[in-house]
Amino acid sequence: MLAISNLTKRYGRDEPVLKGLDLTVEGNSVVAIVGASGAGKSTMLRCINRLVEPTSGSITLNGTELVHLKHGELRRARRKIGMVFQGFNLIDRLTVMENVLAGRLGYVNLFQAVTRRYPAADIDRAFVLMERVGIAHYANKRADALSGGERQRVGVVRALMQEPEVLLADEPTASLDPRTSEQIMVLLQSLASELSLPVLINIHNVAQARTYTDRIVGLRHGTMIFDGAPVDFDKDALDAIYGGIESPDDETTGPLTHAAAPSRESRHDAT
Amino acid sequence: MTRPDAGGSAPARRWRKPPFIANPLLRFGLLATLAIYLVWAFGSLPFNWERISEGLPRAARIFGGGIPPSFSRFDLLLTGFTESLQIAILATLLGVLLSIPFAVMAARNVAPLPVYLLGRAVIIISRSFHPVIVAILFVAAVGFGPLAGILTLTLYSIGFVGKLLAEEIEEIDWGQVEAMRATGAGYLAVLYYAVFPQILPRQVGLSMYQLDSNLRASAVVGIVGAGGIGSTLMNAFGRYDYDFAFAILLVIIAVILVSEGVSGWVRKKIW
Repeated sequence: MLAISNLTKRYGRDEPVLKGLDLTVEGNSVVAIVGASGAGKSTMLRCINRLVEPTSGSITLNGTELVHLKHGELRRARRKIGMVFQGFNLIDRLTVMENVLAGRLGYVNLFQAVTRRYPAADIDRAFVLMERVGIAHYANKRADALSGGERQRVGVVRALMQEPEVLLADEPTASLDPRTSEQIMVLLQSLASELSLPVLINIHNVAQARTYTDRIVGLRHGTMIFDGAPVDFDKDALDAIYGGIESPDDETTGPLTHAAAPSRESRHDAT
Repeated sequence: MTRPDAGGSAPARRWRKPPFIANPLLRFGLLATLAIYLVWAFGSLPFNWERISEGLPRAARIFGGGIPPSFSRFDLLLTGFTESLQIAILATLLGVLLSIPFAVMAARNVAPLPVYLLGRAVIIISRSFHPVIVAILFVAAVGFGPLAGILTLTLYSIGFVGKLLAEEIEEIDWGQVEAMRATGAGYLAVLYYAVFPQILPRQVGLSMYQLDSNLRASAVVGIVGAGGIGSTLMNAFGRYDYDFAFAILLVIIAVILVSEGVSGWVRKKIW
């Protein structure tokens, strides 16, 4: 269980990016976090694994308080938090297998990491997961030789190699074409239930959020203004989150909400 | 109607490039200062035209004595070059290896402030003196011979490669570092996985360039007694063996040409 309470983040002396956020995620639910650019979605996700230092508040993962951990303790806690990035953040010059095994870096010692002598169990797990997402045949290819969708699969497998207790996905589909991004969303959704893993997904695409997640959380200016089931996420909620903000997002999210129903059907075809 | 030939009656518009220095007072002031300085400098420097005219035939005699170049003491030439080559290769290896930790120390994004300042200081100090000055110091410290040359060029390489590598580290894709941190990897593992692969091509290129540059410099530092072909060249001049000295110069040019070609080719290949 991931529990965030009264989380505040302020950069320097500016207006806080997050203003006392509360969020609890249990079981294997897939939670979409929506909001305009600058609403604090990414900051919130990064506060959980402390890529961004929270200013105040509390974040607990299965009973462990994360906010005040230092050095070794923080690294051990991070092993339990997988993260998938918008830009994939793979090590381009290394092979797919090395990238996947990098997910174990929190568990192996430096000598094992440098010489790539990972335990047999890790290598086996890597193959099982790569076969699950369909990239096993790329094991010895350089990561930058893969297509976007394949690269994000590597990113997902790397995060899963950590044997995480929660998976964070920071706009995992924003760099992908519509079809591939649907596939990645389906993958995240089904992995969540297969591995009974809570997944938090920052996402701009409201249609995908409504189709592939169990719960939608809407942020605006660092506060939560919507928390509920996808069916309750209506036009009013959308206006509350994106309304009045002059940005190209408005134009793309508008039509997409109307397209939500057909894409729900195509999802049944895909699965 | 925006076509250029449409106008007809309108007068031709003129355009001139705006001056580099907008303020005319400053512009002409600078030019005047430069002119006055040149007149003063040429007027006050002690050019002794008599001595110059005496020296010209002497220069002609030296060049005349150098032609044809004599390769009669080829073994001496070979010994000198072997030593220079050894100095250059050893100094490059040592310098390039040592430059990695100093570059990491001197990169603001991966080093804490005190370490950064120390790393920058080391690099600045090793870059502030020309190799010839450093060689004079080392010759005084460890005596004549190749050891002084190796130490000099090692320091020179640390400064040069370290500085450029540090800048390269400061420009890496930070996402990969974040991804490795998120797995719970320790500091060295993050360096090894997220930073080194990104700077590897640059490092190889710099090493090749440095080998090339050290070969050139090893001839120069030899002149002040730090071993190698420079010492041989100095001895030849001291004994008025201008034909042998000329032969050494020709071979130096040939070796530099070859090494430049090879390093250029390697840098192009490894990317």
